[in-house]
Amino acid sequence: MSHRGGMDDEDDDDDYEEQVADFDEEEVDEEEEDRSGGKKRRRSSFIDDDAEEVDEDDEEEEEDDYEDEDYGGKSSRKRQKSKKGSASNFFDIEAAVDSDEEEEEEEGDDDFIVETGSDLPYDDDNRGRARHRLPPHQEDHEDLEAMARSIQERYGKQRMADYDEETTDVEQQALLPSVRDPKLWMVKCAIGRERETAVCLMQKYIDKGSELQIRSAIALDHLKNYIYVEADKEAHVREACKGLRNIFGQKITLVPIREMTDVLSVESKAIDLARGTWVRMKIGTYKGDLAKVVDVDNVRQRVTVKLIPRIDLQALANKLEGREVVKKKAFVPPPRFMNVDEARELHIRVEHRRDAYGERFEAFGGMMFKDGFLYKTVSIKSISAQSIKPTFDELEKFRKPGESGDGDVASLSTLFANRKKGHFMKGDAVIVIKGDLKNLKGWVEKVDEDNVHIRPEIKDLPKTLAVNEKELVKYFEPGNHVKVVTGAQEGATGMVVKVEQHVLILISDTTKEHIRVFADDVVESSEVTTGVTRIGDYELRDLVLLDNLSFGVIIRVESEAFQVLKGVPDRPEVVLVKLREIKCKIEKKISVQDRFKNTISSKDVVKIIDGPCRGKQGPVEHIYRGILFIFDRHHLEHAGFICVKAHSCVVVGGSRSNGDRNGDAHTRFNGLRTPSRIPQSPSRVPRGRPSSDSGGRHRGGRGHDGLTGATVKVRQGSYKGYRGRVIEVKGTSVRVELESQMKVVTVDRNHITDNIAVTPQRETSRYGMGSETPMHPSRTPLHPYMTPMRDPGATPIHDGMRTPMRDRAWNPYAPMSPPRDNWEDGNPGSWGASPQYQPGSPPSRPYEAPTPGAGWASTPGGNYSEAGTPRDSSAYANAPSPYLPSTPGQPMTPNSASYLPGTPGGQPMTPGTGGLDMMSPVLGGDTEGPWFMPDILVNVHRAGDESVGVIKEVLPDGSYKVGLGSSGNGETITALPAEMEAVVPRKSDKIKIMGGALRGSTGKLIGVDGTDGIVKVDDTLDVKILDLVILAKLAQS
Amino acid sequence: MFFHIVLERNMQLHPRYFGRNLRDNLVSKLMKDVEGTCSGRHGFVVAVTGIENIGKGLIRDGTGFVTFPVKYQCVVFRPFKGEILEAVVTMVNKMGFFAEAGPVQIFVSNHLIPDDMEFQSGDMPNYTTSDGSVKIQKDSEVRLKIIGTRVDATEIFCIGTIKDDFLGVINDPTTV
Repeated sequence: MSHRGGMDDEDDDDDYEEQVADFDEEEVDEEEEDRSGGKKRRRSSFIDDDAEEVDEDDEEEEEDDYEDEDYGGKSSRKRQKSKKGSASNFFDIEAAVDSDEEEEEEEGDDDFIVETGSDLPYDDDNRGRARHRLPPHQEDHEDLEAMARSIQERYGKQRMADYDEETTDVEQQALLPSVRDPKLWMVKCAIGRERETAVCLMQKYIDKGSELQIRSAIALDHLKNYIYVEADKEAHVREACKGLRNIFGQKITLVPIREMTDVLSVESKAIDLARGTWVRMKIGTYKGDLAKVVDVDNVRQRVTVKLIPRIDLQALANKLEGREVVKKKAFVPPPRFMNVDEARELHIRVEHRRDAYGERFEAFGGMMFKDGFLYKTVSIKSISAQSIKPTFDELEKFRKPGESGDGDVASLSTLFANRKKGHFMKGDAVIVIKGDLKNLKGWVEKVDEDNVHIRPEIKDLPKTLAVNEKELVKYFEPGNHVKVVTGAQEGATGMVVKVEQHVLILISDTTKEHIRVFADDVVESSEVTTGVTRIGDYELRDLVLLDNLSFGVIIRVESEAFQVLKGVPDRPEVVLVKLREIKCKIEKKISVQDRFKNTISSKDVVKIIDGPCRGKQGPVEHIYRGILFIFDRHHLEHAGFICVKAHSCVVVGGSRSNGDRNGDAHTRFNGLRTPSRIPQSPSRVPRGRPSSDSGGRHRGGRGHDGLTGATVKVRQGSYKGYRGRVIEVKGTSVRVELESQMKVVTVDRNHITDNIAVTPQRETSRYGMGSETPMHPSRTPLHPYMTPMRDPGATPIHDGMRTPMRDRAWNPYAPMSPPRDNWEDGNPGSWGASPQYQPGSPPSRPYEAPTPGAGWASTPGGNYSEAGTPRDSSAYANAPSPYLPSTPGQPMTPNSASYLPGTPGGQPMTPGTGGLDMMSPVLGGDTEGPWFMPDILVNVHRAGDESVGVIKEVLPDGSYKVGLGSSGNGETITALPAEMEAVVPRKSDKIKIMGGALRGSTGKLIGVDGTDGIVKVDDTLDVKILDLVILAKLAQS
Repeated sequence: MFFHIVLERNMQLHPRYFGRNLRDNLVSKLMKDVEGTCSGRHGFVVAVTGIENIGKGLIRDGTGFVTFPVKYQCVVFRPFKGEILEAVVTMVNKMGFFAEAGPVQIFVSNHLIPDDMEFQSGDMPNYTTSDGSVKIQKDSEVRLKIIGTRVDATEIFCIGTIKDDFLGVINDPTTV
């Protein structure tokens, strides 16, 4: 302390102490709130690593050195903090300091320049000179520049005789330090005592005079833990530092010549913090939060900000009562206005205080509150004031109920401080919002630095007026068509319908919704855009498949998410999804039937005749799973999209001709997967393409439970990457039989690839053979009949049991489709029953999930959905025309034969040729018609419960009337095919044949052989072998 | 506003239409093609009123189609900013209402509806004054002023206001 004792001016000394104390506290704040962050902020990267280790040293040393000091060492600081009655105490102190010493502080401010240039005699003369060079308004940091200049002046005189303020770049270049100049050394000192150290050096110089051979000492505000000393030799520095208690470690580093200028160049932009400015917190609990400056103390570099508190009152109460506080780091309480009464209820003592301006605050736990806001005093460095763009939401939150909009508007104008250069352009319409000329409208004529010359609207005024940029905002009138150029709504265009000060209300061109934007954020534009219309591969109006098996149309694209109208008929359900939650785009072109069995394809105009949206009409944009997305331009919600069941619509007019439809049908082809081609045969497994990951996507899933039987890939968890077949779906988890390991595991449903893309079954069956070529439009008219009926067949539930046979049995076209015959060699059995040929037909592969997994999945359902996989469709999408090269017809022929032998009867499911033979007649028969038939016993799954029922009647729309109870005497309900599954008959049950030539006949099941049943037909008393799948138990009557 | 103007169009005609009735075919095709369309510059073509001149046809190589430059007179309808129009309300919702004046769709935002008119939801959503004397609902006829137009390639969309003197309902279907 001796050197300090040497100070002649006691006041000055105090001053420094104050100053230092201040920095210390900053340090505490920062370190406590964000230790690592604090470190990162150090600007000179080249000392970073050093600094870190040194920090620790410091702490120890400081502890030793300064234990007895009030605001000195870290440990004592901490102690103080923990005592903490403090923030408010601190307020008082601050106030006192302000009033007492403000003037001197200010004066002292400039003195610091000199202090750092410590080799100069500390005299008035010099001070005068320093002042002289400095324009009076320049701020603290500018002294650094001045200082640098003064240094250069002093030492660079030989080279530069004439020092002038208006130095040119070239002259500046000449001033750069060279090898002959004194060097700059970086000396480590105690944290927070950089200035003090520099001053000590200065004092030492004063005391010792020329003994000290250093030239200057510099402390930088932004550099903690180090000061710079200018000297010719390291030894000189060491000599000078000897005995200074703030300097230790004797770690002295040379600053490379190249970096010397950087040390003293000022990089921090002027932070112009005014009251009412919006800022964001940079660190701590409130990191990222918007705050409003209520008070600025430039001297102490601290600001008081108003925040919405994030306080966990309970935790606070616990802490104050000394109960143990569990530190949960991850938890940040949500911002909420403070209700002091709540605090009282938790027995937190609430005090009332007044600050220096006499404002009343409630204080507890060391925090000050007013009107629910937290008032917090923080270091200027812990807030960022640059380009703060509060969103509307944030501002709304900040506006306490009761507070009028006006006050807010005034503060909104602080937003303008952040606008970019070139904000105003010549010709812009503007309005003055501040000052004498308030509400004057005009047009921009010329833009200077800060001033904008405007041509006022009123004639008698001078031609142009110069107005400060900050007093102007752009002006729009209702009816202007504008484009939003910044902010959350960026890119949107719309027409102004209302102007409220500098907030505009627009009608968006796309959504026809109101958008509120700042006048500043928009420009006049005749362009019509929809704003952002795409993220990644997905665009507005795309039909997409979501993570959770649902699908929907993108009705709005936000900055990072989409709004999706889900495919739930009857009630509009809009969800916000992130890009990654979208599985894929669904691009298939398919068609469905309306209530009266007219074909609807996309772009047809339909009218809704049922449900809440009844009466609306519009073109069909998307069709998926029997659900239509209709675009009605009069419908204002959901961007005009309405989601309805196909059954509740009728086609109006229709925009396409029959021929078109045929064409369309072939396009649909794309999606088709033939159920019959599905490789059930294990033989396929090895040959399937082992890993195309599309395998995982193939899924048996139409309907809710479509997952069962599908092949999935596990995406997460310990079984990640495994592929397997879904055996069962249990709530949110599924049981998957892994392919590679003979075991069944349970995984979370979310952890499997869930990609079902579904082709409505009818499509599939129609084109079931895949071989159907575009040339057969003649067949089209038939489709409608069978379509609805096939749906029942399509129930996923059935798939499981019915697997292999079903397809063949069911493919009505199979037997008759001539093209198929061509390649099938007319052997219906082979294709029908043989999954084998599948693998053999190369073209089929691409469409089909070629993975072995798919093979396993083998439920027809699985296959259908494969059809729908995005992949497939995208593959097709390119070639939606009937003339696709990929027409399945082509190469299959020879191959199938060759493969046949390859697939031995080995498959348990396809009983060898014998079975086929049996089947062939069946196949030949007319298999058209509903899958389910009256009088059969079914299990009805509905809304979670399951009951047995008897089908009473087949309704024309494809649903069934079912009498509940095993004899059908119970309540009669209407069930969709998807909700039912036929009861599997057991040996010696009476059965009804649901498919094939014998469809409708009854019989008795006299035996079961694998998947086939041996049936004695009642009428003929013949014994037939039929697929179990087409057998249903007859209800006892 | 309606205009009677002369427009030109290149018509492609299939060879099967050639013959005595070529001109008639051309005209009827023109009407079919043009009437009801909207061009950003001229607005909606309401009706073709006459043919000024049919130029020489040019046979397209390969297709046999012939292109005729046709000059025709037509009535077009183009809404302008500031124009006063009478329109029929087609839809009312909480954000405002849509009205149609012929082919033009006009949206009147609730900000542009007099402040004393409140939105009433329900079966027949409407805007009603506090005393219930004036009601805007579907099929009401309103007089409005266009304050902004947005011209797309195929559509003209307008924003209108009824917040001005002499604007508002002119004929209420419920009272007729």
